[in-house]
Amino acid sequence: MALDVLGINLSISTMDEMDLPQMKNEVESLKYQLAFKREKSSKTVNDLVKWIEDCIHEDPFLNPELMKNNPWVEKGKCAIL
Amino acid sequence: MGEMEQLRKEAESLKDQISAARKAVHDVTLPEIVSGTAVVGRVQLKTRKTLRGHLAKIYAMHWGTDSKLCVSASQDGKLIVWDSYTTNKVHAIPLKSSWVMTCAYAPSGNMVACGGLDNMCSIYNLKGKDGNVKVMRELAAHTGYLSCCRFLNDSEIITSSGDCTCALWDIETGTQKTIFSGHMGDCMSLAVSHDFNMFISGACDYTAKLWDIREGACRQTFGGHESDINAIGFFPNGNAVLTGSDDGTCKMYDLRADQELITYQDPSIMCGVTSLAPSLSGRLILAGYDDFNCNIWDSLKAERVGVLAGHDNRVSCIGVTPDGMAACTGSWDSFLKIWN
Repeated sequence: MALDVLGINLSISTMDEMDLPQMKNEVESLKYQLAFKREKSSKTVNDLVKWIEDCIHEDPFLNPELMKNNPWVEKGKCAIL
Repeated sequence: MGEMEQLRKEAESLKDQISAARKAVHDVTLPEIVSGTAVVGRVQLKTRKTLRGHLAKIYAMHWGTDSKLCVSASQDGKLIVWDSYTTNKVHAIPLKSSWVMTCAYAPSGNMVACGGLDNMCSIYNLKGKDGNVKVMRELAAHTGYLSCCRFLNDSEIITSSGDCTCALWDIETGTQKTIFSGHMGDCMSLAVSHDFNMFISGACDYTAKLWDIREGACRQTFGGHESDINAIGFFPNGNAVLTGSDDGTCKMYDLRADQELITYQDPSIMCGVTSLAPSLSGRLILAGYDDFNCNIWDSLKAERVGVLAGHDNRVSCIGVTPDGMAACTGSWDSFLKIWN
């Protein structure tokens, strides 16, 4: 039986395999993870999209201008007649 | 109630609270935000070079920081450092154990590392005084195979292992400074953040974990995959994590909102993801699959916009140069290809 859809998908059977010290560590870890300061998706997703949009013109796979000097393509001295 | 039962209940309660905290900040989805954005045009990358020389399956490759040299590892028992511009082999390093699963290039360019079924991480000094490449250290302590390793600098390296732990090592003394425990399955892959303060690990417990290197603690755990996570990487801005799984999908997780953002999947894809790498802007995600191909995804629209076809066997590893100018794929067909 899965515990959660939005995040941690550890099934009950996985927890069954833990011994006592592991279980104690798991509980401590979960307390630490719960304390994380989550930011609103409306802020984080918009920031992410904006960051990508600002960087696209510097992305050689998306801006052919940047690939004009391609180090992996030989600038041969031969011309095709 | 026994102590175990009490702890179990406490763990379940904490997971419910984390789930609730995630729901509380979930006020938009990525598809909503980009509904008006067009999919990028078809991306056609060509093979510019083929690196020939390995005699067996290639399991791993890693670019050097100069975006020119790269190292590859094959089960022919060799690590090869290539000049990708000329296809020349700068170093061909014979390994003690041919069962290698990972390799890494130090940011300084001074060292490479590898490891595998020998459960060790071997560090090689490329800049020895007499010009010969020799083993500098053998980092032994893991009780399972070495699946991945990444240098922080010339004195520290992080490893992930089939023993379900990751570790931070002091290369000079050959000892583990920190052990990162928490995964309940083999750790398959790791990636270090650009500021070298954090790393992420993907495991056979279907989760990815974000670790604080100096605190030695797991900050966040991401689930959702339905099988082993084989590949993991940071999004270029450091605020998201990319994963690739045996369930045939890749996912992006938002670190700041602590939750899954989007899944990259297609009903026609019925095999596992072996490797992945984002382009420089992160708009494209290159993912290698068991079916010999590499798909190029539009990371915002979650649509396939290109394919790298050319290998005759599984694509086992992929890497984009730090300057974003090329991608390298390594395959079980024993070749590496440079694409742009």
